[in-house]
Amino acid sequence: MATLLQPEKVLYLVRGEKKIRVPLSQLYFCRYCSELRSLECVSHEVDSHFCPSCLENMPSAEAKLKKNRCANCFDCPCCMHTLSTRATNIPAPLPDDPTKTTMKKAYYLACGFCRWTSRDVGMADKSVASGGWQEPENPHTQRINKLIEYYQQLAQREKLERDRKKLARRRPFMPQAFSEKYGLGTRLQRQRSGAPISALYGLSLKEGEDQKEITIEPAQALDEVEPLPEDYYTRPVNLPEVTTLRQRLLQPDFQPAGASQLHPRHKHLLMKRSLRCRKCEHNLSKPEFNPTSIKFKIQLVAVSYIPEVRIMSIPNLRHMKESQVLLTLTNPVENITHVSLYTCEEEDPDDINSTAKVLVPSKELVLAGKDAAAEYDELAEPQGFQDDPDVVTFRKSNKIGFFIKVIPQREEGDVTVAFKLRHDFRNLAAPIRNTEEVEATSEAIWLTHHVELSLGPLAT
Amino acid sequence: MFIIGMLVPNSSNVKIAMGAVVCVESDIRGDVTIGARTVVHPKARIIAEAGPIVIGDGNLIEEQALIINSYPENMLPDAEDVEPKTMNIGINNVFEVGCVSQALKIGDNNVIESKAEVGRNVILTSGCIVGACCAVNTCEVIPENTVIYGSECLRRVQTERPQPQTLQLDFLMKILPNYHHLKKTVKASSTPARS
Repeated sequence: MATLLQPEKVLYLVRGEKKIRVPLSQLYFCRYCSELRSLECVSHEVDSHFCPSCLENMPSAEAKLKKNRCANCFDCPCCMHTLSTRATNIPAPLPDDPTKTTMKKAYYLACGFCRWTSRDVGMADKSVASGGWQEPENPHTQRINKLIEYYQQLAQREKLERDRKKLARRRPFMPQAFSEKYGLGTRLQRQRSGAPISALYGLSLKEGEDQKEITIEPAQALDEVEPLPEDYYTRPVNLPEVTTLRQRLLQPDFQPAGASQLHPRHKHLLMKRSLRCRKCEHNLSKPEFNPTSIKFKIQLVAVSYIPEVRIMSIPNLRHMKESQVLLTLTNPVENITHVSLYTCEEEDPDDINSTAKVLVPSKELVLAGKDAAAEYDELAEPQGFQDDPDVVTFRKSNKIGFFIKVIPQREEGDVTVAFKLRHDFRNLAAPIRNTEEVEATSEAIWLTHHVELSLGPLAT
Repeated sequence: MFIIGMLVPNSSNVKIAMGAVVCVESDIRGDVTIGARTVVHPKARIIAEAGPIVIGDGNLIEEQALIINSYPENMLPDAEDVEPKTMNIGINNVFEVGCVSQALKIGDNNVIESKAEVGRNVILTSGCIVGACCAVNTCEVIPENTVIYGSECLRRVQTERPQPQTLQLDFLMKILPNYHHLKKTVKASSTPARS
């Protein structure tokens, strides 16, 4: 029997600031709050930067200096693939004897996907394999840098004034230098949605530096604009020469309209992020520092704590007729878990999507613990669980298959059912209060989750 | 009734010029002429059903490539008024692994990448590159130095044509005879032996 592995069919409800319904594989579980967390109710923090093609790590300060781009790798301006360096042999005159020629290596950039080469835009071949390629200089850089400096100074001054006002109100005995140290470094201040200009404060000058006044001249408005060329409306369009919008907007400095001005740009860095629960400030996911490693230092994902429901087979569903749907329930933890299912009550505020009535098994289902060595054990001992054959179809190590009865209520549309899943969870993260009470560490708490299944359309 | 094998083509002879390396395991049927310095890998298939195929010099036809001069889809093979059209392939072309080419006229220095498909009504001029997995089934002449790439078959023009694969051809012409039997390079040979 094929398992319907599409995870979007089974959604778990997350009760955060917003009610989000997501498959279990995309959720995290905070052991300290004992609640499910989705990507929208955690705070994301940047861990490290790395280049996706050369896998080189870069500290965050250096990344900011290089505008989050790798120093060695280039992107094809045409298809955004990674460029590779190719070499040709060209005859070049020897420096000692101009009459004789020797073969020298010349390097050029080429894209393996769309066959773009650096010679297409007129970039000369370089004699060194790496480091010879320069990005074109933006003519407006000076003016932009000056403007940024001016606004940084302005932001810092405003911040100082605001802090001074606050200090004057609350703690008059605090030294003034304190306020600058308590800038946007702490998390609590970061989370409040302050004035937009405070975002620039992080880039400001060092404290204590003499702040010289920077003045900028306002931009000049021009009356005359360069006229369009005369044949602008009559010249036929050379389609291969026109750049696509995507190619153009990937280079916002220049936005070239012609393909012969598309220069390659350095490759964007990717980053590894760590996630943190907003309520208890514990880390939910922390990757390893090494870009080549895919493991995590801390990985509190929901699939390793919450039993997962999957749809195994759906019969033909007919309007107002009862059919049995086969589901599987998998236990991810190593100890025995007791699961009971409940139908949603009549006026349940979470139950907005269901279009069918569902009858769940009334007895409690027992799941065996996950035993990693069980797959190598040929003489699997039969587990001593008494299963009601009407409810439980099969049992295999930590997984059981069971039936639910579904009665579609609507004549058309997809059939969606919802029910509540209640299971016991042993919190191994709780601190040991007393060395004598060993059982207190594995105290079970009961968690309830709202699960929605989408069973597809009615059979015609 | 069932058809054994395939229809008898006009004349089942394969003319392989001197200097060409054609492996015995390749499947060549019909009236096919292969030029000098062309390398045909094992398991390549060149089928001249609806007319002869003329392949020029210096081509590289890799494994599981299919060059077929077939009848147009809406015509029965037994129709009376079908004229055999010759498929012409120029020099220095590369047919990579698993490609399907039905184009009637292919120029020089083209590259048809892996698993690409070129339809019957396409005419490839010189220096064209049909990217991997791109299917070109339109009814047009592809201009010179065009590159067709991507899942949506985007196009762009490159400034220089792809280099002829002389190094690869030389290497293969030395190595392939060490491991495969070759078909005889005679002007007019009998039905080739197949393994």
